[in-house]
Order: sequence, then C-alpha cells, then structure tokens
Amino acid sequence: MQTIGILLPRSTYYQTIGFDLYEGLRSGLKHLGKSDIKIVTENIGFGADKQQCYRSAEKLLLEENVSVVIAYIGHRMAQLLRPLFLASNKILIVLDAGANLPGEWPVCPNIFYHSLHNSLGAALAAKKAASNGYTQAGMVTGYYDAGYLHTYSISKGFEETGGTISFNHATGYTTTEFTMEPLKNYLEQFPNSVLLSLFSGDFVQWYFEGIKNLFKEQNIPIYMPPFGFEEMMLSDAQFPSENIKGIAAWSKKLESKENKAFIETISNTGKTPNLFSLLSWESASIALKVIELIDECKNNVIQIAKDLHEFTFESPRGKIYFDSKTNTSIPLLYNASIITNHEGKCEVQIESVVNDVFEHFEKLSTQELNNSTSAWHNSYTCI
Amino acid sequence: MVLCGGKFAFPALQLLAYEKFICAIGIGKSNASIVDALERESEENNFGFKSFPDKKSIIEMRAWIETVQPDYIFCISFPFLLPENVLSYGKGKFINFHPGPLPQYRGPMPIFEVLKNQETQTAICAHFMNSKFDQGNIIFNDPVAIQKTDTYGKLSIKLSERLAHITLNTANMLQFASHIPNQIQDETLAYYYEKPELADTYINWKHMTADEIISLINACNPWNNGADTTLQEKRIKIISARLLNKPHNNQTGTIVSITDTLNIACKDNEQIAVEILSTDAGIMTASQFEEQILTNFP
Repeated sequence: MQTIGILLPRSTYYQTIGFDLYEGLRSGLKHLGKSDIKIVTENIGFGADKQQCYRSAEKLLLEENVSVVIAYIGHRMAQLLRPLFLASNKILIVLDAGANLPGEWPVCPNIFYHSLHNSLGAALAAKKAASNGYTQAGMVTGYYDAGYLHTYSISKGFEETGGTISFNHATGYTTTEFTMEPLKNYLEQFPNSVLLSLFSGDFVQWYFEGIKNLFKEQNIPIYMPPFGFEEMMLSDAQFPSENIKGIAAWSKKLESKENKAFIETISNTGKTPNLFSLLSWESASIALKVIELIDECKNNVIQIAKDLHEFTFESPRGKIYFDSKTNTSIPLLYNASIITNHEGKCEVQIESVVNDVFEHFEKLSTQELNNSTSAWHNSYTCI
Repeated sequence: MVLCGGKFAFPALQLLAYEKFICAIGIGKSNASIVDALERESEENNFGFKSFPDKKSIIEMRAWIETVQPDYIFCISFPFLLPENVLSYGKGKFINFHPGPLPQYRGPMPIFEVLKNQETQTAICAHFMNSKFDQGNIIFNDPVAIQKTDTYGKLSIKLSERLAHITLNTANMLQFASHIPNQIQDETLAYYYEKPELADTYINWKHMTADEIISLINACNPWNNGADTTLQEKRIKIISARLLNKPHNNQTGTIVSITDTLNIACKDNEQIAVEILSTDAGIMTASQFEEQILTNFP
C-alpha cells in the first residue's frame, strides 16, 4: 500500500488548520479515486521548531517509509529539510502560503513548492492600486503580518508602478494593542492615499472593524493580497468600505466543475472549504503524480523533477503548472473586490482573471531584496 | 571543526561561525595571507586553530583533534588525505564536501572536469570520509546548475556560496537526525580524474569542436591563465573566447581574421572569437596581439 506523509501545523487563530489540511488531502485523494492510499500525519507545532520539523519529517521517511511528504512550512524550514530529502531520495511537496520571499530560490529536484502566492498577490494588488490612479499609499499591517516579506513586495509593487509610500502603520497583535487610530492623522496629512493592507485571520476582522468605526461611510480605498480575501474569516468580518479591492487566490464563487466538486466534498465532511483545504486538496493531484513518476522513473529524482515540470492539472482555482526555475506552482490569480451581504458582513466578488501571472512571478522571483530579511520562521498564520 | 584548504571555504566558515557551529579551524597548504587571516579570525572568535603546511604535519592532527574534542569534522577542499589514525577518532564523524558529483567526478579538480565535459549540472556531494580520496558513503549530492558562460572562477564562487548553505543544513541535520541516510558509492559509475596536466588543458584543434574548445577555455579560466595552445608557432593561452557562428575555408587552428577578436578556424566549420589571451609578452586583447604580430613580422 502506498503511503503519503503530511506535516501538520497548528494555529491559534486558524484553529482548524491541521484538520483542514488533512481533510483536503484525504478528500482530494478520494475524489481522484485513491482512497486506498494511507495518510500518515505528524505534528510540527507552529512550524518554527527546527528539531520538531526535522524529526517529524525523518520519522515519516525512515519509520513510516512514506512515498512522498507534504508539509505546510516556509522556505527556510524546507531548506533545513533539504539534505534529509536529498539523502533519502524522496520528494517533499511544500504547501506554501507565499507570504515570505526567500533570499534565493534554490532549486532542488527533491522539493516542489505549491503556493498560494500571497507576496505575488500583494505586489499585484499594489500595482492595481497604482493603475487605478492612486499615487500615494500607506502600508497598513500588524505586528505579526509585518514580519513577512509580502511587506516588501507590496511596497515595491506600488513604487515600481510610480506610486509613493507616504506612511506605514504596523499595529500590535493583541486586542488591546490593535488600533487604527494613527490612520486618522496619516489620512489627514495624505488624504488621497490608498491603504495597502496586509492582514490574515482574526486580524482581518479587527482591521475591518477598526476601519468601519473610524471612517464610517467614507469608503476609503483598501487593496489587499489573497489572505485578505480568505472567505472563512471574511464571513464574520464587518463590511467597512465600498472600496476594497485586490487579488484573490480562490473563491467559493469561482464557477467550474472542479471548484464545485471541491466545495461539495469538503462541505459534506462538515467542514468549511478554505485556502488550506484547497491547497492540500490540490496537493493530492501533485502527490499522485509523484507516486506515478517514482515508478515510471525508477526512483530517479532528477527525472521525476523534469517530468513534474511538464505536469499540469485542473484545480478548483483553474489550471496549475510548475515553474522549472523555482519548482514553484503557478496558478491563476483573480482580480477581486469585497462586497457586503444582507447581514452586513463581507463577501468576495471575483471580477476577472489576472493577466500574465507567470511573467509577474518571474519578475518577483528575480528581484533583489536589498538586504530585506524576515525573522519569522513559523509557517504563515501559525501562531 | 572545519578542515579547509583556503578561501573556497570562507563563506561556509562565516555562516557556520555565525550559527555557532564552529569550535576549531584547520587549514592545509595555503598561502601565508590566508593562513594569517584565518588564524586572526580564529583567535578573535575563540576557535582552536592549526595550520597543516605539508603532508608530514598531518601526524599532529590526531592529538589536536583529541584536544579540541569536536562532535564532527567537516572537510572543505582540505588538500591532504586523512590517515586511519585520524579517522579512527570516530566513525561517521568526518564529512567531506566535494565540489562535484560523486561517484562520477572523483579527484582534486572536479570544477575543471565538469566544465570541460560540458555538463549542464554539477553538485556538491556530502559524504562520510574513509582513507581513500572521495570514496566514503554518500549522504547526498546537492545539485547546482551550470550556465553556458560559467568559467572555473565563476562556478567556484557559485559553489562556494552554495556550499555555505549546504554545510549549515548538514550541521542542522547532524544536530537533529537520529540516523543519517547514506549509501555506498556505485563503483560502476565511479571515475577518478587526476589533477589536470598540459595534455588536459591543451587545445587539440584537429579533434575538438568549437563548443568543446570554448568549454575548455572556460574551464581553464582563471586557475591555468587560460587554455594552452600554439598559434603562429608560439605557445599561448586563450583566456576568453566565444562562438562566432561563421563558416570558414581555412585549415583548423589557423587565424581566419582579426577584427576586435582573433577569429580561429575550428574543425566543425565554426570559428571561435578569441577576446583575451596570454603570451610571453603578457595578457592582451586580440587587437594588441595583432599589433604584436605586426611588430614581429612587419
């Protein structure tokens, strides 16, 4: 019997993240007619403890003898695991939020990154704001989200399109420290500014509440990347402005038979489909391809990697393929806005497909980081 | 502990020191300024330090290791073979980082060999050490892409920088692993390349294609000051050249024309455009070489 290993993180504000990732994979395999494949899980906490991650991966490889490992971790942790996967001649599929930008994109045939592309979405959201006529912006984020380099891509994206970042506001991460008050002063000084905003999880809800309370009916412009469009959190967030736009990675509203199957299958398990169950649902297709190639290529990892570069599949968010230079998956991204529902809460409205995603990604992956680094080692949203 | 052979190991030393993995540094046969620099850095950081200037001095290594008591010993281009009495300090404690894929590229200068052989990919191989050069069990080969324009120098820098991350990852691996996966080298794939001699660095115009010649030139730049050849009955070294994509009717190995480059006929009806070369008179451009010919044969 084939076995797939998955390293599952935990999160205090996405409390179901481990279950979502597991269920996405399990249901994805079942949907592909492979429910006979055994899934073995290991807990990696917040994904920041090197020893815990290494030992969990080692256990899956050496004790459970899994065919392939899937892990919701960042680039840095993936690099720590690189020698283990090289030495054991196995493939690691990294489920990547895409919130960080690695200092380099070192290609290793044993590691493939399946991404939600939050940094790319952040850069595209900023470019969109600039192309919609905004020339000044404030970057608004929180203590936690500010630690990832999507901050760099959103600022760079805006500046490259001719805009100027006039102010930055990074708020605290507890309810008592979380405040949007400084924005009043900033927006008086720079009244035509757009707010390039980076929040995830509960912080999206707090942010929208703050905006609603301080800037009632002013409809101030806000642009956000994919994690700002995470529908599970938005369903409990107050609608703060008629002018919230950005880039979404996925929505329940996307119309395709693949998305319908995903939503129905996950919903039937009693769970709410979200970005995490989506990512691992998709990883089932990649893992099955890897298992097929292990046999076809007689375990030659270099050949398996070459064949994966040619692999494409239809996912709930559209066609996905891999960039051979970075081993990173390239999906469709969507221009989106936030609308209100009858309860005054938020919903995503998909407007169109973003053009030239690959070209934008290529630019992002080759851009200089100018010594910007991130000290956040944990998997994104896992605190 | 890191045993190294010179500046190729510097990025790895810096990163390992920053991450507090280093307790001592040993250096084998290197120039005085590098030995001095390493000794100074070691003193400032409270690392043990020892220089092994020749093969004979290896006799002092075991006692030094016993004093330092390292958990592991990393070798990065250390020039001398470690004898059994050193390796017996601990089985599985000595790891070499070979700058080429094993077992295919054993030997002291795999960077030269992979370039000369026109490989598109090389590797840094981490392997346990035994008493033969490059023959211990392989932990992993970490691949590194080779660009068409890579010279020996450019590829060395790339590998040296990559090596830093690989040694750090390996140190973490040793720290956390309960078992280090490794495998015996497949002797059917193994090849040992001796240190290149004139026959290896010499351009054979009759037998080599233009592409092969350019690869050899890149493989010799800068360590050999270029690829050796004879032109106008004079021994020269070609340091830099590119493919011209022009057919010719000349005898192979002769000058077709001199523009801003020295254009030489190759056997596959291609020409290579030599940009920089080295003669007894010094390193010069093609135009300077032309002036020299005119001066000598007006």
